[in-house]
Amino acid sequence: MEIDIMRLAKLAKLSIPEEKVEEFRKKMEDIIQMVEKLPDLDTQGSLVDPTNTMELRKDEVQPSFPRDEMLQNAPYTAAGCILIPKVVD
Amino acid sequence: MNSNYEIVVGLEVHAELSTETKIFCGCKNEFGAEVNTNVCPVCMGLPGTLPVLNEQVVEYAIKMGHAMNCTINGTTKQDRKNYFYPDLPKSYQISQFDIPLCENGYLDVLVGDEVKRIGVTRIHIEEDAGKLIHDDSLGGSLADYNRCGVPLIEIVSEPDIRSADEAKAYLDTIHTTLLYLGISDAKMQEGSVRCDVNVSVRPVGSTEFGTRVEMKNVNSFSAAHRAINYEAARQIKVLENGGEIVQETRRWDDVKGVNVLLRSKEDAQDYRYFPDPDLLTFVVSDEKIAEIKASIPELPVAKTMRYMSEYKLSRADSELLALNKNTAAFFEAVIATGKCEPKSVSNWILGDIYKVLNERKCEITDLALTPVNLAEMISLIEKKTISNAAGKTVLEVILDADKDPNEIVKEKGLAQVSDTSALNAIVEKVLANNEKAVTDFKNGKTNVVGFLVGQCMKESKGKGNPAMLKDMVVAAIEKM
Amino acid sequence: MDKLYSLTAAQMKDLLDRKEVTSVEITKSVIDRIEKTDGEIQAYTSYNFDQALQQAAAADEKRAKGETVSELAGIPVAVKDNMCTKNLRTTAGSKMLGNFVPPYNATVVEKLIADGAVIIGKTTMDEFAMGSSGENSAFQVARNPWDTTRVPGGSSSGSAATVAASQVPLALGSDTGGSIRQPACLTGIVGMKPTYGAVSRYGLIAYGSSLDQIGPMARTVDDAAMLFKAICGKDKMDATSKDYTYTPYGDSVKGMKLGLPKEYFGEGISAEVKERIYQAVEVLKAQGAEIVEVSLPSTDYALSAYYIIACAEASSNLGRYDGVKYGFTGSDRSSLENLYVSSRSEGFGEEVQRRILLGTYVLSSGFYDAYYKKAKVLQKVIAKEFDDALKLCDAIITPLNPTTAFKIGEKSNDPVAMWAGDICTVTLNIAGLPGINVPCGFDSNNMPIGFQVLGRKFSESTLLTIAKCYENTVGGFAVKEF
Repeated sequence: MEIDIMRLAKLAKLSIPEEKVEEFRKKMEDIIQMVEKLPDLDTQGSLVDPTNTMELRKDEVQPSFPRDEMLQNAPYTAAGCILIPKVVD
Repeated sequence: MNSNYEIVVGLEVHAELSTETKIFCGCKNEFGAEVNTNVCPVCMGLPGTLPVLNEQVVEYAIKMGHAMNCTINGTTKQDRKNYFYPDLPKSYQISQFDIPLCENGYLDVLVGDEVKRIGVTRIHIEEDAGKLIHDDSLGGSLADYNRCGVPLIEIVSEPDIRSADEAKAYLDTIHTTLLYLGISDAKMQEGSVRCDVNVSVRPVGSTEFGTRVEMKNVNSFSAAHRAINYEAARQIKVLENGGEIVQETRRWDDVKGVNVLLRSKEDAQDYRYFPDPDLLTFVVSDEKIAEIKASIPELPVAKTMRYMSEYKLSRADSELLALNKNTAAFFEAVIATGKCEPKSVSNWILGDIYKVLNERKCEITDLALTPVNLAEMISLIEKKTISNAAGKTVLEVILDADKDPNEIVKEKGLAQVSDTSALNAIVEKVLANNEKAVTDFKNGKTNVVGFLVGQCMKESKGKGNPAMLKDMVVAAIEKM
Repeated sequence: MDKLYSLTAAQMKDLLDRKEVTSVEITKSVIDRIEKTDGEIQAYTSYNFDQALQQAAAADEKRAKGETVSELAGIPVAVKDNMCTKNLRTTAGSKMLGNFVPPYNATVVEKLIADGAVIIGKTTMDEFAMGSSGENSAFQVARNPWDTTRVPGGSSSGSAATVAASQVPLALGSDTGGSIRQPACLTGIVGMKPTYGAVSRYGLIAYGSSLDQIGPMARTVDDAAMLFKAICGKDKMDATSKDYTYTPYGDSVKGMKLGLPKEYFGEGISAEVKERIYQAVEVLKAQGAEIVEVSLPSTDYALSAYYIIACAEASSNLGRYDGVKYGFTGSDRSSLENLYVSSRSEGFGEEVQRRILLGTYVLSSGFYDAYYKKAKVLQKVIAKEFDDALKLCDAIITPLNPTTAFKIGEKSNDPVAMWAGDICTVTLNIAGLPGINVPCGFDSNNMPIGFQVLGRKFSESTLLTIAKCYENTVGGFAVKEF
C-alpha cells in the first residue's frame, strides 16, 4: 500500500522534512499494515447508537469568562482580539 | 438571458437561531457585544473542554423542519467537519453529516401568481464560526470569537429553482417563515441569514444537469438575485463560445456585480467527517415531535392562498397582509369581529395604515390602534353612518388612542346627513346655483352628476350621504 | 513523625482524624520527599507546593473547627499533566502547551479541591498521552523506581512513578488504551480504569475522546477506591458521563466466577508473566472463586480497532493546536498557512505527528469506510463478545502487560513493537469496560508483574472486591524502598 504522506501532511498542516519523508513513510506503512488486520465486516448503515444516548442541556445562560482570562494564553493580541496573519476570505 | 438555456439553482441557507444561549455552552447568544466577551473555555475550544447540546436548538430546527414539510429524524447524532481556519477555534465545526435532523421536505412559494414547489433536501443543526476583522494598520487580522457556537440551521434545497425570481421568492419565504416561527431574528444586515448559491445551466429540454458552480459571499437575497443572473449569463457565454463549465467555487462581489474564482475542484477540501465522540446519539420522542408540529402556526404562503380564496383578495394584497406576522394577525382579528368586509379591511390596512407604519418605521402592534376600533370605524362607513372622508378623520384619532369611533363621530359631528328634507334643501340650492350643469345633464351629459353631487357634499360639509344625494339630484333634474 | 510521606492515604486520614498529625506536616513531608528524590524519578512537570501548603492549612483549619470533612481532606494527590488546573501550567507533556495556563479546572480537579485534597503537582506523561513508556514526553522521561534505568510505563508515567516511589499516596491518571493500568503494572501499584462515563472527562486534554477515562492510582486497593469514590459521577459539563453511584466493595471472592480468556494467554505473553498470573488465579481459587474458561475471539483485531479510533479522534482533537490561540506558536508568521504548519511541525513531537497522520489517513475520503467505519463496527463486535463472556462469569482475569518494564531507549524507535505491547489493555477501552491492575509479584529482574481484572460496565466494586481479596490474602503489595 503506497501512502501519500505529503497529501496527509498537507491536510494535517504538518511539514515533514525532506530527509524524514522516507522514514515516516516506512513507519506509517508498518502501522497501516498492522491496522489493516481487520476482518470483513458489514459497514453499511449509520454509526448512530440508540442504545447509548445523551441528555440535552436547558437553554439557560451561564456567565461567560473575563476576556483577559480567555486571551491570557494567546501569543499575540490586539484590541481585545487575537492577532493572526492577514487572511482574506 | 439567452432563451435557449434553462437556469438550475440550488440554495444552501444558513440561519442563526434566536436561542438564549449558544449551541454547546451557556454563553449568551447575542449580536453586537463587545469583542470576545461572550466567550468561555468551551466555545473558544480550549484544551479539555466538551460540548453539551442545547435542547432549544433541536426544537427550533424541528419547527423549521415541520414548516418545510420534512421527515424528522428523531434519533440522530452530530458529526465533526474538520478544517483549519482561524475563525474556527477547535479546527472542526460540529455539524451533522449522514443523518440530518430534518430531510426530504418541500416549500411552496409564490412566483407571480403561480405556486412553485421547491424540494428541501435537508435541514441540519451546526455551530457558527467567529468573525475575522481585517486591520491593515496592524498588518494582520483580528479574531473575535463571540459568534463561535451561535446555533445555526443549514437548509439545503434540491436543484428545483429555475430562475433568479424563483430563488428570490424561495428565500423571501424562508425569511418570513423563520420570523413566523419565532426561531430566528433573520436580520440580513447582521448576517443572521446567509446563503450559498449553486448555479448551472442547460439547454432547454435537456434532462441532465450541467456542471454546477458554487458561489460564496452572497450576503442578501437581492444579491442572490443578481449573483444568479450574473453567473448564469457567464456560464451561457462560456458554452456559446464553445467552452466548458468547470466545477469550482466562486466569490460574489456585490459592489462590483461580478464573481471571481475562489478555488477549483482540485483544491476541494477533505473534511473528514466523523461522529463527534463528545456527543452521543440523541433521541427526540415521537410525542415531542408531534407536540412541536402542533405548535406551528399557519405560515405565510398558506395564509396568502387562504386570503385569496376565502376573502377574495388579490394575490398582491393577500401576500402583503400575510408577509408580516403582526399585520396578518391584526387583519384576522378585525375580520373576526364580523363587523366588516375583508376587502375594506385590507384596503384600510394596506392603504392609510401602511402609510403610517412606513412613516413611523414601526409595526402595527406598536400603534394604539385596536382591531375592535378599526372594525367599528369601517362598519360605520359600511353602514353609511359616516363617509369615507370622515373615516379618515376617525382613523387619525384611533391610531394613537383607544377610543370608541362612535364617540369620535359624535364629538366631531361626523355623522352623515340622511334626512331627506335637509338634503332636499341642499339639492335645490345647488341646482339653482349651477344652471349650466343642469342644462348639460338635460342635454345628455349625464356625467356632470358627479360634479353636482360633489357640490352637494361641499354644501353639507362632508356629512351628506353621497349615494342618497346622487339619487335626489337625478330625480330633481328629471322633475324639472 | 518520621516518613509521613510513605503512609497510605487511609493511614494519613486516620492520623488526621485522630489529630495526631496535621495536613501541613504531611504536605511538608511530601514536598521534602519530592525535592529529595524527584531529580532521579522525574515524576513532575510542575510543582504546586505553595498552593498545596495553603490547601493543607485550609484542611487543617476545617478539621480544627470540628467541621465535617471529606475523606480526602488534607491528603496530597498528584494530578497527571493532561488535566486542566486553573492558574497552574498544564502541558499534556507537549512543547505545544509548554506555557499553557488554563483559566479553568477540570471537573475532577474541582472535585478534589472541593473535598479539601492537597494538589501537590502535575505529573510527567507521554506527549498528549500517546505512548506506553513515558519516553514521548517533551520535557523528561520519568523513571521506574524499581530500576531507574527502566521505563515506568505510560502514558501516566509520572503518576505511576510518584506513587510507586512513595512520594505521594495518590495520583490521578488517564487511560485511553492502558495508560493507567500499564504503568501501574510496570511499577507494581494499583491502577484502575473506570467504566467509560463513570468519571467526567471535562478538562481532560483529549487524546481519543471515546476511549479516554480518568482513574485512580495508589499503592493499596483501599486508597485507589477512596480516590475513585471522590471523582466518579455524572457531570453536566460532560455529555458522555453517566449517573453513577459508588457502591462499597467487600473482600471475599467466595462463590464468584472468574473467567480466563485463552486468547490473552498466547505466545506474545512472556512465560514469567503467565506463570505469576496463573499463581494469582490459584490464590483466588483457594479463596473460593470458581474459574471458568471464556472466549473473546476478536481480541486479535482489537489493537487495530484501537489505533484507528484513537488516532482518528486524536487527529481531530489536536487540530486546535495551531499557534493562534494558546500554547506554542511557530517561527513562521509570514502567512496563516505557514503559521499553522510551523507551529504544528515544531510544537508536536514525532509520535504525535505520526498518530495525527494515521488518524488523518483513516478518516480521509476514500478510506473512511475501510478503516474508521470498520473499526467502529468492530468495536461493537468486541463489546458484544465481552458482554457474552461476562454473562458466564462475574469478572475476567488477564495478563496486563506482555512483559515487565523495559530499558529506557530499548523500543523507542520501533512504534509497532511499542504499540503491540498494548494488546492486553486496549480491548477494555474499546468495550468501555472497567479494569484494574493488581500487582502479583516480580520477574527474575525483580521488576513488578500485574494481572488485570475486568468486569461489566459499572462493576468497579466487583473489581475492587477481587483486588482487595488478593491483596489481603498475599499480605499486601510490596513497596519499593527508595
